[in-house]
Amino acid sequence: MSNSAVYTIVVEALSKRYGDLLAVNDVSFHVNKGEMFAFLGPNGAGKTTTVEIIETLRTPTSGSVSVFGMDVAKHKRDIIPRIGVLPQGFNSFDRLTVSESIQYYAKLFGNKTTDVDGLMNLTDLKDKRNVQFKKLSGGLKQRLGIAIALVNDPEVLFLDEPTTGLDPHARRAVWDVLLGLKRKGKVVFLTTHYMEEAELLADTVAIISKGKLVAIGSPGELIERHADYMCLRLKSVDAHAVDIINKMGFQPVLDSRNNIKVQVKHTEDVQQILDAIKVAGLPLPGLDVRKPNLEEVFLSLTGEALHAGAPMEGDAR
Amino acid sequence: MTPRIIAANLTVRLKTFCREKSAMFFTVAFPVILVLVFGAIFTKPEHLNFDLPVQDRDQSATSAQILKRLAADGVFNPVALPADADAGQYAKHNKLNLVLVIPHGFGDVLTHRLAHRDDKDSAVLMYIYDPSSTSVTTKLQYLNSMVAAANQQMSGTPPFITTTQQSILNKKYRFIEFFVPGIIAMAVMTSSLSGALNMNAELRQKGILRKLATTPITRTDWLLSNILYQLVLAVISTVAILLVSYAVFGVRLQITGWLPLYIVLEVFVFVGIGMMLTPIAKEAESAAAAANAFLFPMMFLSGTFFPVEMMPGFLQKFARVLPLYYVNEGLRAAMIFVDNLAALRCAAITAAVAAAVFAAGALVTRWDREV
Repeated sequence: MSNSAVYTIVVEALSKRYGDLLAVNDVSFHVNKGEMFAFLGPNGAGKTTTVEIIETLRTPTSGSVSVFGMDVAKHKRDIIPRIGVLPQGFNSFDRLTVSESIQYYAKLFGNKTTDVDGLMNLTDLKDKRNVQFKKLSGGLKQRLGIAIALVNDPEVLFLDEPTTGLDPHARRAVWDVLLGLKRKGKVVFLTTHYMEEAELLADTVAIISKGKLVAIGSPGELIERHADYMCLRLKSVDAHAVDIINKMGFQPVLDSRNNIKVQVKHTEDVQQILDAIKVAGLPLPGLDVRKPNLEEVFLSLTGEALHAGAPMEGDAR
Repeated sequence: MTPRIIAANLTVRLKTFCREKSAMFFTVAFPVILVLVFGAIFTKPEHLNFDLPVQDRDQSATSAQILKRLAADGVFNPVALPADADAGQYAKHNKLNLVLVIPHGFGDVLTHRLAHRDDKDSAVLMYIYDPSSTSVTTKLQYLNSMVAAANQQMSGTPPFITTTQQSILNKKYRFIEFFVPGIIAMAVMTSSLSGALNMNAELRQKGILRKLATTPITRTDWLLSNILYQLVLAVISTVAILLVSYAVFGVRLQITGWLPLYIVLEVFVFVGIGMMLTPIAKEAESAAAAANAFLFPMMFLSGTFFPVEMMPGFLQKFARVLPLYYVNEGLRAAMIFVDNLAALRCAAITAAVAAAVFAAGALVTRWDREV
């Protein structure tokens, strides 16, 4: 494959069908060397199916996938030793301790040089080295899963929903580990349904919805391309302001806390709205203006929310 | 096949086993408890002893003599009933399954008969019994044989027919010696089948199989480490059973090369069956149910606890298609009867079953793809 000199992973026209369900529908993309790549989409979008095909666990219905220039359907044995995988909902053997789990997987790969202490340092698990898996919290389990995915010093690391189900603190601890890997220049293929995770970590984000790839690019590019506006929020404003802004040709939305949200294109629009409110003599206790995030990109591309009602905690930056 | 990977898997299993108290219990303690319980129940049938309610309506020197002889024999422990009670009503009321009644005039009739040799008169003892009771037959047999012995003695002539006995075995064997090979076979079957089934179901449910599928471990490595682990467990429980049987009951069994051979074959048979059942049992809970549905009929119908000959004919025929039957028969042939030919025949059948079942099990174990 000619692209393999540049790209670590090449996916071309990939489809996977389960009976009547087309789980992955004609998906094509590639992952560059040294890149952190995020697959962003809601649950059931086809992320895990795609990533498991790349990991050689499943076979494509049609299309082709190559890793390191080798076809995944034919070169499982050559690809497996060079990749590391954190599967979705990772579990290890209940009764094994942290260090025993790492050693076990290191032995499976036959890596005599695996630096177990180094991996525990990297994932901040050194204090837990003698704790059995069943006694670890969710965040520690995920960090152990990442340490285990690294036992063979893989060229590509696959992380399937690494922070799903974790509390914000544990999630941040996992992100710290991943940022450390990014600094080391590992190729990381991440699937997530947390937009701030993709935005914080990824060089390239591919948005997938209902089995189809709907957009791909850097977070900045995606926002630029698909959410080319600013979000103005006016705090605790009199409801009359909604009418005023409406008449100016914008589409204000009043939320339950009496905040008004308006999407605007230009800085001058903000100025105009503020002037109009001042002229009307309405009080304005506070406001903020921010750039849209991937959540809004996703919404505008697919018409559906990434999270069904799950509140997002703050902006990642 | 990679010995390094097999060793790593075996280490994980054994560590888990040592840290899991319930696994230890079912492998070691459970079969040992069975041996102790059944051994205690069945070891000494010669010490059979029953209370026997007796109503002596005769109150003569002869009836007193009879009661004395009953007590002297050791099987019965005569308990006197009020002489004026209605014995039938009394038995019903007090839930007695057998009452011996010595009727009024019994002594006179017997004395008359002995003195005059008058064949027309015989003294009558009466049994009042509950035919629905299971132990009453045994009691009646004992009583009848005592009456027969007394009759013979009183006739004054030596018996016409006597019997001698010759065992086809080199020595007498006791029930516990029959029982121990059955318990060994049962323990190995239980741990192999439910071990293979539960472990695979649990590892799949937790996604550990999916993770393993992204490592260089192959199906051969996986199957071999399962088998080795189950073999270690089988050896542990067999040694525990034998130690307890020897120490507590002083069993005498022939420990030869047949025993390890049968253990190896049996592990292959039941790990194979466990692997065949794995795709059916999608979750750990249903795996346990599937294992039990298989284990219990096998346990009771294959002659583990009692000889197959005690079952009705059609069940005896059915037993002959159960793999555990041949393990039981073969182990007993080797350990009790020292019948090498029978042991060889059963070993050959078990080996054939092991090969077929294990191959089929290995074929349906598709943990490395589309898990």
